[in-house]
Amino acid sequence: MSAPNPPANPTPAHSRENPEPHEEQNFPSLLLLFLCSVLIFGSALYFQRYSGTFSPLVYNEEVQGSGVAAGTATAVVDPVVMGKRLFVQNCVTCHEVTGLGKPGIYPPLAGSEWVNGNEEAIVRILIHGLGGPVVVNGATFNGAMPSFGPLGSNWKDEKIAYVLTYVRQEWGNKAPPVTAETVARIRASIVARGKAWTAEELAEYHSATK
Amino acid sequence: MSSAESSFLASIKPSTPAGAAEPALLSEIDASTRAPVFFFLCCGLFWLLLGTAFALVASIKLHNPGFLGQAEWLTFGNIRTAHLTSVIYGWATNAAFAVAFWIMARLCRTKLRHVGVLGIAAFFWNLGVAIGIGGILRGDSTSIEWLEIPAYASPLLFCAYALVGVWAVVAFRFRAPGHVYVSQWYILAALFWFPWLYSIAQIMLIFAPARGAVQPLVNWWFAHNVLGLWFTPIGVASIYYFMPKVLGKPIHSYYLSALGFWSLALFYNWAGVHHLIGGPEPAWVISAGVVASLLMVIPVVTTGINHHLTMIGSFSRLKDSPTLRFMVFGGMSYTLVSLIGSAMAVRSFNEITHFTHFTVAHAHHGLYAFFTMVMFGAIYYMMPRLTGREWPSATLISVHFWACAVGITIYVVGLSLGGLIQGWEMIATTTDPQTHEVALRFPLFIDIVRDMIPYMVSRSVAGILITIGHLAFAAHFAWMLLQPRVAAGAQPARLSPDSAAPRTPAYE
Repeated sequence: MSAPNPPANPTPAHSRENPEPHEEQNFPSLLLLFLCSVLIFGSALYFQRYSGTFSPLVYNEEVQGSGVAAGTATAVVDPVVMGKRLFVQNCVTCHEVTGLGKPGIYPPLAGSEWVNGNEEAIVRILIHGLGGPVVVNGATFNGAMPSFGPLGSNWKDEKIAYVLTYVRQEWGNKAPPVTAETVARIRASIVARGKAWTAEELAEYHSATK
Repeated sequence: MSSAESSFLASIKPSTPAGAAEPALLSEIDASTRAPVFFFLCCGLFWLLLGTAFALVASIKLHNPGFLGQAEWLTFGNIRTAHLTSVIYGWATNAAFAVAFWIMARLCRTKLRHVGVLGIAAFFWNLGVAIGIGGILRGDSTSIEWLEIPAYASPLLFCAYALVGVWAVVAFRFRAPGHVYVSQWYILAALFWFPWLYSIAQIMLIFAPARGAVQPLVNWWFAHNVLGLWFTPIGVASIYYFMPKVLGKPIHSYYLSALGFWSLALFYNWAGVHHLIGGPEPAWVISAGVVASLLMVIPVVTTGINHHLTMIGSFSRLKDSPTLRFMVFGGMSYTLVSLIGSAMAVRSFNEITHFTHFTVAHAHHGLYAFFTMVMFGAIYYMMPRLTGREWPSATLISVHFWACAVGITIYVVGLSLGGLIQGWEMIATTTDPQTHEVALRFPLFIDIVRDMIPYMVSRSVAGILITIGHLAFAAHFAWMLLQPRVAAGAQPARLSPDSAAPRTPAYE
């Protein structure tokens, strides 16, 4: 595609056109400048308020102050829900989802006098495990319950409290919940122990409930 | 203000010599830019027609999905992308090059040297666009919005652009001494901004892609800035040049021009982030985008007031000047579309309009009702000076203007309304009075899709009108080139022959 021949002289269009543009020096309205300033000021306020403390990790623009969202306290955990999750993940291989265990091999939790009895015993069992013969619901078992404390999975007080609270109210069990504070207190009292418990050692707590 | 003060102000300010350039000088300058400008315009017009055809097909597919359903390379994803690439990099950028060079050379009062280099750049730019569109239709799209051109074509575009940009800067460097007019600020800035945007976006999205949350951020920084820091400055520069040129009046205020320019330069760069409201970005980044979009009200209102105060008292000229008519339509659309854009960045409004047809309406409002209309106006003024011929038919100009103006109005109104309804339907909920359970009012997405069909049809109707306008323009353009060169003293085509008596020397 080629352009037409160049005009030798100014085209008629060139001859009739107005001079090149220029600007007048009218000063803008002060009201306009004032409104612009108001807009900038308001935008700065918005930016300061809705910037999630300028943290790269804050997504919610409502967040203010130290980085904790207004009205969102630490999430509340339902110990039974959390306990069930822990139980399903860790305990069902032996004790079964039904809490009945395996006759002659693994003791039941449902209706167990150990589970529903004094929490001092089962907290100790969870922390260090249990070895040797034990009588549950009239049957004798001779196995090894592993430690979930320092000798084993090293659970925190909360997790032990959750799973115990769960087994103490499931399958018709009706014992009161176990708190993390109780677990912490008992753990502190047996901090030097380095092996699993035997049923005889725990008999004092067990028999105390009878 | 006392005279002492005014003379002091005058002494510290760049002077604004109102001395008229001789027609002979302007004629010589136009002759030096003619070849590349004419080539850019012809290419632009070609891509405009092709892009319009792509657009019509894409639009019809949205209410008649079976339309051309057998052709694999014409699926919606391909053709919509081909349309976008064709009008953005083909039509709009070619037109912007042509208009920017033409204005720049005139305002610099310098003849363009070695235009052959520019011709080579223009050729390779359009070759790049052609390869890009072909690649997209083959299915090679990068699927990154606004950068869909395959990686094998984009370096060509960048090099061609760099050459074009350098040539404008060279023209500016060798300008005649004197005041630098506002149009020159915008054009010079845009010629720096675009290669910066394009190269960074290419590197960070195509060649060494940024990961995670940074990637969409770069994408929208680029995509929105192409509008705001490339097309907008060229469009505004054109209005600043052609409006006073046609009217024979000065621009109202140097100070408003400066305020508008610098606030655009300051705020626009952040505005694109508002596309990611609700996305996984740090809150402060989004808020910065929201604030920048709101502050865009300042350059828009300032520029709008400056244009309006220049125009006021001369609105009767809209009857007979095609250039002015397109320019004023474009200028008013610029104000309106920008204010809507700022509103869309407000979080609560964005909640409704995000991911709806409202955004599509907004994009066309900006790129068509503002930018494209301004480019048409500029071409009506430039062509008689480039070719030495007059536009042969006032009727065709009228058909062009009204078909496009009515078409884009139907388009924007229809899709904006549809978009608002769509947005509302997607988030509307109902609460059960008994159980207080909250549920979606329109649980089936397909119901919302069906509700949109009338608005999709309105878009196709608008598209047909716009196509008619473009065909009238293209036919007129070709007809003009077939005309003989006119003799001195001939009168140009007037839109309103009844208001015949020429009141000013120029009637474009």
